[in-house]
Amino acid sequence: MPVAILRRLLLVSSLCAASLTQAETWPGADWSRAEAPSSAALEAFSAYAFPPRDDVSRQGIRTDALLVIRDGQIIYERYAGPTKASTPHLTWSVSKSLLAATLGVAYGEGRFKLSEAAATYYPPFAAHPEVKLGHLFNWASGLNWQEDYEYAPLNSSVVAMLYTRGRTDMPAFVASHQGEATPGSRFRYSSGDSNVLSAALKGMLGAKAYADYPWTALFEPLGITSAVWETDASGTFVGSSYAYMTARDLARVGLLMQRDGRWGERQLLPKAWVEFNRTAFAAYQPLPGEAVPGGHWWLNQAVAGAAKPWADAPADSFAALGHWGQALYVLPSEGLVIVRYADDRDKSYQHNELLKRALLAFSPEVAQ
Amino acid sequence: MSLSLIKRRPFTSVLVLLFLILLALGWSKRTALAAFPDIISAYTAKEYCSCRYVMHNPADYCLAYVKQYVPTSRFIDDAAHKQVSVSGLGRTNTAVWLSPRQGCQLLPAP
Repeated sequence: MPVAILRRLLLVSSLCAASLTQAETWPGADWSRAEAPSSAALEAFSAYAFPPRDDVSRQGIRTDALLVIRDGQIIYERYAGPTKASTPHLTWSVSKSLLAATLGVAYGEGRFKLSEAAATYYPPFAAHPEVKLGHLFNWASGLNWQEDYEYAPLNSSVVAMLYTRGRTDMPAFVASHQGEATPGSRFRYSSGDSNVLSAALKGMLGAKAYADYPWTALFEPLGITSAVWETDASGTFVGSSYAYMTARDLARVGLLMQRDGRWGERQLLPKAWVEFNRTAFAAYQPLPGEAVPGGHWWLNQAVAGAAKPWADAPADSFAALGHWGQALYVLPSEGLVIVRYADDRDKSYQHNELLKRALLAFSPEVAQ
Repeated sequence: MSLSLIKRRPFTSVLVLLFLILLALGWSKRTALAAFPDIISAYTAKEYCSCRYVMHNPADYCLAYVKQYVPTSRFIDDAAHKQVSVSGLGRTNTAVWLSPRQGCQLLPAP
């Protein structure tokens, strides 16, 4: 019965293939690839991210890089403008979540507790003794901070920190702000809070170990080779804004988070740390369509009676988000990590629309 | 300012009051106002330096990338030293590339 034997062989081999695909895939020096076959949904995903690029008016959606990982393999990758696979692209505020991951390693090493005062590790914060490290991760220091960029440059704390009064010592500039709300009682997005965390990490480690720590603690274990992290003149990493890496390297951080802080056999970030990252700030008052602040990551959770901000994405989705459209999305229930680099100068781009189209193009059911 | 003076010169009184308010506002925001003219040159120098020497994008792309509504008057990209100096609104700022890991940084204000 050669046909029956053939059938049985086919069945066995397909079972083997199934068990192989169930085994975890991790990137080595580079990612393995399993490019999604072209489909109308894939075309629609691509078309949304890459409309004809207008470099004169700089209007509309201007994606520089778009990379999709499913279950540890590249299934989609495209670049535009000057950005290439080898470009260490500016991540802007995605840096904040990279800082949180770096601090997560320190947390696993028992270097601090969230309930400790920021001043314990950053003495100039003695002016704000009630501000705990946990408050800073929730952007809830209560300081009088103004996070506008281009539209109100005179009053913008972040512009002053990065470019003028704060630039030589950014955390000291933050510390000079007045407290105006009880720490932990109010969410106000603040690049200042992030840079105080960066300074606190320096206090935990000492300046010498600190200068290498993002690499020794996080980048090297993940095989990230393209990272650049700029500092202020006092040697504090600009944890709020100035980390750079290739899209493929940023996706490694996404995979780490997708798998609850584990990289291969090693639990690099404690599970409890990732859980904290993914827990909504308790006192957050939701704004429609705005991602919910967690522990220095952004969440797609329905909180305080509001709908989840990205209606078409699963509730367990979370992200690192930055100025001008930078994003690292993690969709654990779909096994997806998506990196988007961009130069969006207006508000055309919508997270929900990209995620909706990504799910149509790449969700496992579609791929079968 | 007596009541009779306001009655005699209502327009002048309003102008004087406006001037005093402006002065008070200016004083309360004096540090922000003093730093304000530095923004355009510092932003342009720093972000051009990073665009060119960290992200390795072409020079003409980086010039367009850092362009803002406020014009800059002088732009020097010293490629040999990876140092970028920009002037605008009467201030000059310089960013310099430091190392492969540390990228670019603004030099202390002159």
